[in-house]
Amino acid sequence: MASLTFELENTTADYLGQVQYALAFLSEDVLSYHIDEFARQVAIEFRPGADIEAMRPRVDELLRRYQQSEFGMKSAVSFDQRRKLPEIDAWAGLLERRWVTPVGEGHVILRGLAARLHALVDQKAVAIFTRAFHAEPEIFPSTIKSETLHRCHHFASFPEHMDFVSHLKQDLEVLSAFSSACRNEGWSATLHEGNMGAHDFAISPSCCYHAYEGMEGWDLEKPGRCITATLNCHRYEGANHKSLSRLRSFNMREVVWVGQPGWVIASRARAEELIQEWAKDWELSCTLEIANDMFFTDDFAVKASFQRQQEAKRELRMEIPADRNSISVFSSNFHATTFGKAFGITVGGRPAVSACVGWGCERWVYALFCQFGFEPANWPAGLKRDFDAFSAGGAL
Amino acid sequence: MEPKEITSTLRAYIIERYAIAAGDADFTDDVHLFDYGYVDSFGAVDLVSFVQQTFGITVSQSDMIAYPMNTINEIAMFTSLRKKGEL
Repeated sequence: MASLTFELENTTADYLGQVQYALAFLSEDVLSYHIDEFARQVAIEFRPGADIEAMRPRVDELLRRYQQSEFGMKSAVSFDQRRKLPEIDAWAGLLERRWVTPVGEGHVILRGLAARLHALVDQKAVAIFTRAFHAEPEIFPSTIKSETLHRCHHFASFPEHMDFVSHLKQDLEVLSAFSSACRNEGWSATLHEGNMGAHDFAISPSCCYHAYEGMEGWDLEKPGRCITATLNCHRYEGANHKSLSRLRSFNMREVVWVGQPGWVIASRARAEELIQEWAKDWELSCTLEIANDMFFTDDFAVKASFQRQQEAKRELRMEIPADRNSISVFSSNFHATTFGKAFGITVGGRPAVSACVGWGCERWVYALFCQFGFEPANWPAGLKRDFDAFSAGGAL
Repeated sequence: MEPKEITSTLRAYIIERYAIAAGDADFTDDVHLFDYGYVDSFGAVDLVSFVQQTFGITVSQSDMIAYPMNTINEIAMFTSLRKKGEL
């Protein structure tokens, strides 16, 4: 089996996390890769017959890409709450109890306590944030126009994780041949080749894009609008799909503010206070810290470091003791006028600014089981109180 | 170069480079250039280059993390102190 080994100049957790993520998209000839931070090396195995010399500059490019930054990689933790926790293999426990059933790469079905916790997290987010911000509920479609994503500059930064959708061509011969082949020979992916329509829609990679396109051309009343919505989103992550922490199909609850800068900034700050109060109440072992999006393209050096320098993204990261790492379960994002300008949304005649906070519901479920186990009686008092109230159909 | 002159030079550059409308009441020497959307991430790269070339100073990545440089007055203050060797 062909393999290559590369030296790592940087072994910071942020850098290794970026490289770990990005290597999944190096080439379809990659069979596996392993980062050894102590040996400061990354080893990559390729399929037999792969042109590995052609891979060398690609790997060099990726390793270099995430070393660069225009504005430095600012880091700061604004909230830090640690608990001494047991190491629980939550994934194995969930599978054993049949509370999770994997149904394809990065796709799961939740049931039992996992499904109830999922609903509890969403319901609590709505209860707290609707009360605090009078967020208006909106209902979004699961797919979004590719053109809208282009206008959001999404493809320029995150082309790797798109799940595009299409349909069979509106052509009687194509439809009949497809149907006949499925009936007679069984379905296979090759039956799609050359027979699909344009990929003019994609499965939404994020919840809030619909909020902006839905307000295209609006001049908002001051100070602006606050919206909440939930959506099943898709992000394809290749070899990175793992347990409930990196799903291809996952549910995201968001609260979005669009309006005057001072109001949006103050609302985002209040939202970060509220999530800290939530974390204290449920006794989560977690941090709230500056973060950056996984910009995949070669503008990482500008966008990621500017995002950090401006503290435009913060994440609540919950500890996963068994994995000796943490996962982001909540993010707080400030976009300035990016979407206001892209969709002509104004407030008082000026481009509106926007911010959003989002919960990755499956990640919350996973992290809660990882930290507290499967028996509600043993959970922290605040979490148990809310779970009991939720189970009884009461208010949170 | 006097701080007022630095401020004036910066203001003129930003108005022209980022097409700030005449009479924009929000655009002051104290407005947050990034929060208000006057300058984006790539615009910030250009702005740093302009400051370094025009005023003959260096602005390092650690400077951008350590010192607030989000308004015209903040950038002018940093530039003035750096030119005097006080930063």
